[in-house]
Amino acid sequence: MDGVVAHGVRRSFGPVQAVRGIDLTARPGEVTALVGPNGAGKTTLLLVLATLLVPDAGTVSVAGHDPVAEPDEVRARMGWSPDVFGLYDNLTCREYLQFCGRAMKLVHYEARAAELLEQARLVEKADLPVHALSRGQKQRLGLMRALVHSPQVLLLDEPAAGLDPRSRVELRELLRRLAAEGAAVIVSSHLLADLEELADAVVFVDQGVTVGEHRLDALPAAATRTWRLRALELAPLLKALKGTDHDEPTAAGVDVRLPSDEAAADLLATLVGKGVRVVSCQPVGGQLEATYLELTQ
Amino acid sequence: MTLQGIITVAEQEFTIRIRAGRWRWLLGAWFAVLTLVTLLIRLAVQTVDQGRAQDKGVIVYGGLTLLVLGLALLVVPTLSAQSVNGDRERGTLATLQVTRLSAGDIAVGKFAAAWGTSLVFLAMTLPPVLYTMTQGGVPFGRVAVVTVVVALLLGSVIAISLCLSSLLHRTTTSGVLAYLVVFALTVGTTVTFGLALALSSERYTQTVPGYCPGASATDPCPYSSYQGTRTRADRVWWLLAPNPFVILADAAPKLPPETTAERLQREALALRGVHVTNLRDSDPLSGLGRAVRGAHKAPGASNGSPVWPWGLGFDVLVGVGALWVTARRLRTPSRDLPLGQRVA
Ligand SMILES: Nc1ncnc2c1ncn2[C@@H]1O[C@H](COP(=O)(O)OP(=O)(O)OP(=O)(O)O)[C@@H](O)[C@H]1O
Ligand SMILES: [Mg+2]
Repeated sequence: MDGVVAHGVRRSFGPVQAVRGIDLTARPGEVTALVGPNGAGKTTLLLVLATLLVPDAGTVSVAGHDPVAEPDEVRARMGWSPDVFGLYDNLTCREYLQFCGRAMKLVHYEARAAELLEQARLVEKADLPVHALSRGQKQRLGLMRALVHSPQVLLLDEPAAGLDPRSRVELRELLRRLAAEGAAVIVSSHLLADLEELADAVVFVDQGVTVGEHRLDALPAAATRTWRLRALELAPLLKALKGTDHDEPTAAGVDVRLPSDEAAADLLATLVGKGVRVVSCQPVGGQLEATYLELTQ
Repeated sequence: MTLQGIITVAEQEFTIRIRAGRWRWLLGAWFAVLTLVTLLIRLAVQTVDQGRAQDKGVIVYGGLTLLVLGLALLVVPTLSAQSVNGDRERGTLATLQVTRLSAGDIAVGKFAAAWGTSLVFLAMTLPPVLYTMTQGGVPFGRVAVVTVVVALLLGSVIAISLCLSSLLHRTTTSGVLAYLVVFALTVGTTVTFGLALALSSERYTQTVPGYCPGASATDPCPYSSYQGTRTRADRVWWLLAPNPFVILADAAPKLPPETTAERLQREALALRGVHVTNLRDSDPLSGLGRAVRGAHKAPGASNGSPVWPWGLGFDVLVGVGALWVTARRLRTPSRDLPLGQRVA
């Protein structure tokens, strides 16, 4: 299968074991989220997939090729955008993308650069030096760089960091479109709410190990979730909540941790039965966040 | 490695370099200093024989050339000593490495851009050089050889600096080390040669036929022998060979001896009480070259042999080796990574 398949990937830096056994599958036509706490090894795994690091152990296939044995084959089909990247000073956005196109051995690199500038909404900045761009604009330009050769596999390390809400929506739409066109997209991100709307599958990693690989529409029901309750009067609500695991009330409401959806339904029924005038009862954070919190310590 | 790939990298590096404003100032200052020095030496030469001396260009060109080499050796390490680790620091190296450009493309492209820049500096010396050619005693062949040799020497230093920038993590370290390399090549070789020469001294015994007026076949005159110390430059000459100044001076074609016509003309003038010196004999390049060849000569031999093929060959080989190491260091995926050095 094309896309990305990684099995038992390990990589250490001297005494530091950054990746200790990650399994990951990213299918063509899907967006796969790579989620895990800081230092979990996400960036290191992406560097292995992006033909930059040799894994100490494990098998990796990117777009049907081995990144260690055939890096050039992989590079022709894979686009990678690092979490922090630099741009050249003294080059305009257009020149930058044209250079990237030439480095990818594109014949029509000028036309491709113009197309990507349009896509990144940077047409009016096209002939400004790159360092005159804002952080988010740079981020968008960097993403376009990864797309310059229309890759089958896209590896994005925290692409949404620093983007404004509109750009995040646009990024989501762009990635969905690329996936619909058949690309296998891997996105590492801490923005779980975004991922919930974007991803088809999710891989949880913690301390260098895969701790869960799930379809997003079939996430394991998290045992404990937080529910946020709001009532017209606070005092009766707090009184009725005595005995449950709840936080101090905030302006947003009272957060209660409940073991299951049934428990939530029961609690709500009890509250209404006791005459508490509840106006809202909803889970805090998505299903993804709940699973994340449960899988990673 | 492809030509197209090398051109892509070199063009990109060259563009960035040209657009950084300070180069224009540096080039301007470079041109101004060289022109000024040329004119000053020319004025000084004017005082010889009240300006009647022949081949006035010889000294001016020799002085200018040595100055150009000296200044260029000070400028070129900055062209490449932070090229690779600087890119890594700015975060632009990894994105270049995941393109279809090979490690060789990147290494050679970066080298070509830096070398090309140094050749621009060299080209700026052309106007003063052309001027010295009009002053006599500077044949075209000499200018051509000297220019090629300087270009090769600068290329070697640039390749070594580039290699340092790929080997070392920090840009400041590689920058300082590149200057140390230039220092070692120039001052270091000279000092080492001097010390080694002192250590090479040996005692020797020479026997010569004695002089006895009353000697006969039955009572032969005994040989007399005497002892002395001598240094053996022929054993340590190679320490001096990598020195760029030595290579340049020795490689510069020797100037033709005075022709009969020139001599007759000079003698005719001398008869009228006008003395005209031929400045060809005071050429700084030939002077240095002769001294070096004198070292590369066995004690008994009458003629020294050229040193520059060894020196230039050595320097160029080291440069090529440095480029090869650079390309290896740029190869990805990488297995070993210095601890704490992030790829991206
Ligand atoms: N070059 C390196 N040398 C030493 N340690 C490294 C190196 N690269 C990564 N590490 C270590 O490996 C671990 C994993 O790092 P990595 O960057 O892959 O984490 P991450 O999942 O991307 O984290 P984040 O969410 O903060 O980006 C960290 O503990 C880090 O300190
Ligand atoms: Mg990371």
